[in-house]
Amino acid sequence: MHPQLQPLSEQLAAYLTRRWDEPVTVTSIEQIPGGASRETYRVGLHTPAGERGVIVRRDPKTSLIDTERALEYRTYEAVHGSGIPVPEPLILEEDPRHLERPFSVMSEIAGCQSAVATLFEPPYAEQRQRIGERKWSLMGRLAALDPGELGVTDFMAEPEHPAAHELDYWAGVIAADALHPQPVAQAAIRWLRRHLPEPSPRRCLVHGDFRSGNFLFDEHGDIHGILDWEMAHIGDPLEDLAWSLDPLWAWPERELAGGLLPREEAIRIWEAASGMPVDRAALRWWQVFASLKGVAIWISSTEDFVMGESKEPILAVAGWLMTDRQNRILVDRLHPASTHQYAEPLEPLEPLL
Amino acid sequence: MIPRLSQGLADLAGKLASGIAPETTSRFAMANTGMIAMLLGALAQEAERAVASRMTDISEMKDLFAALDADAGDPAQSQARREFLARQPASLALGDVEALHAEGLELLIALHAWAEDADADLNRKIWDFLLRHTERHRLDPG
Repeated sequence: MHPQLQPLSEQLAAYLTRRWDEPVTVTSIEQIPGGASRETYRVGLHTPAGERGVIVRRDPKTSLIDTERALEYRTYEAVHGSGIPVPEPLILEEDPRHLERPFSVMSEIAGCQSAVATLFEPPYAEQRQRIGERKWSLMGRLAALDPGELGVTDFMAEPEHPAAHELDYWAGVIAADALHPQPVAQAAIRWLRRHLPEPSPRRCLVHGDFRSGNFLFDEHGDIHGILDWEMAHIGDPLEDLAWSLDPLWAWPERELAGGLLPREEAIRIWEAASGMPVDRAALRWWQVFASLKGVAIWISSTEDFVMGESKEPILAVAGWLMTDRQNRILVDRLHPASTHQYAEPLEPLEPLL
Repeated sequence: MIPRLSQGLADLAGKLASGIAPETTSRFAMANTGMIAMLLGALAQEAERAVASRMTDISEMKDLFAALDADAGDPAQSQARREFLARQPASLALGDVEALHAEGLELLIALHAWAEDADADLNRKIWDFLLRHTERHRLDPG
């Protein structure tokens, strides 16, 4: 155990002993890298019932994404048991006295990987086709679930026009957080306003960040948990699909969505699993939106890194490198004579004027 | 000795990535050390070109603005663009260059919004500028 984690370990053991009314000791604790929106710890526990692993997610001093922890936790509760694999939520503690900041506890899903880089290494690399099939199949199944039956309508708003609602929100983030004028993002916002799709007749629970890196997979190509639901909301079924296809997620890979499957194959799998044919013009809008939302998150990250208390390097990586790449993707998407250096041409193929 | 800024940052990035990261005792520390090395690499790239790339942007925006008809866009924006054409950064310090760069980009954003509806040729030229602009500022820290 790293000495710096000893105080947290002791606080957690004391808390769980009180909470579960039984003696609990922490046998191991390790901070997991890459948690941009929460500090994430893998913790081994000894309890009277035996050894168990949990994941503790604690609010950071500042965050890449301004999220509502209770909404995320309740989403895990709603999705757990629905057929979409997620870690079992155990505790939401919003009182900051126990671990200095609010936190949640979930069961650990052991023996899995999530890092994008791992997808390109043995023994996982040869399973990418199967992982991709599982990924877009689960995404389609999530889109097919009724938000009311899941219970998320009890705590999530149902926007009348999901596309307009999302665009307003993320354009607002850029307006609030940009430290320098953003001509590419502003051009994208204008394009998106001019080409708003009709509201989809279907609404679904949108994960909000369903991409390579946010699910747990094993060496057999199975997916055991979808993670990071902090941007979940009720919205358009195409939103998650478009986000998952953004070229950023397998950069600089051009051909395989998320480094896993050809885009058209991913779309076909999603259609089969969701039971919904994809409206290509609407998907094109959501793909441009996905890149704009990415820019908004990275701009917000930059603002957090420069102005905030936390100086976590992940904030600067997102803020500097991802903004640059996502801006290049957006120019590639919207330039009237794009040569498509970074992103595939979007169907329908007429210029995006 | 005046530090060779870009080379110094790149050398420190290399040392951190290959000499220090492997010695760290946790995955979290190793990941953070790797990220910091990558960021130092990006800073090395940016330090070398920061003033030059922004000055090139300013120069190209001035070329765009100077070629416009006097009545392009609304009168207040036209006047602001004419004033911008006559201005130079207060100094070549990065903060001064960035201030003028930001003014130019704000004018460009307003002009682009107008051109999208009123002038297809200008719209295309602005997109060409944005393509050069993003490539000029791209980060490839390795």
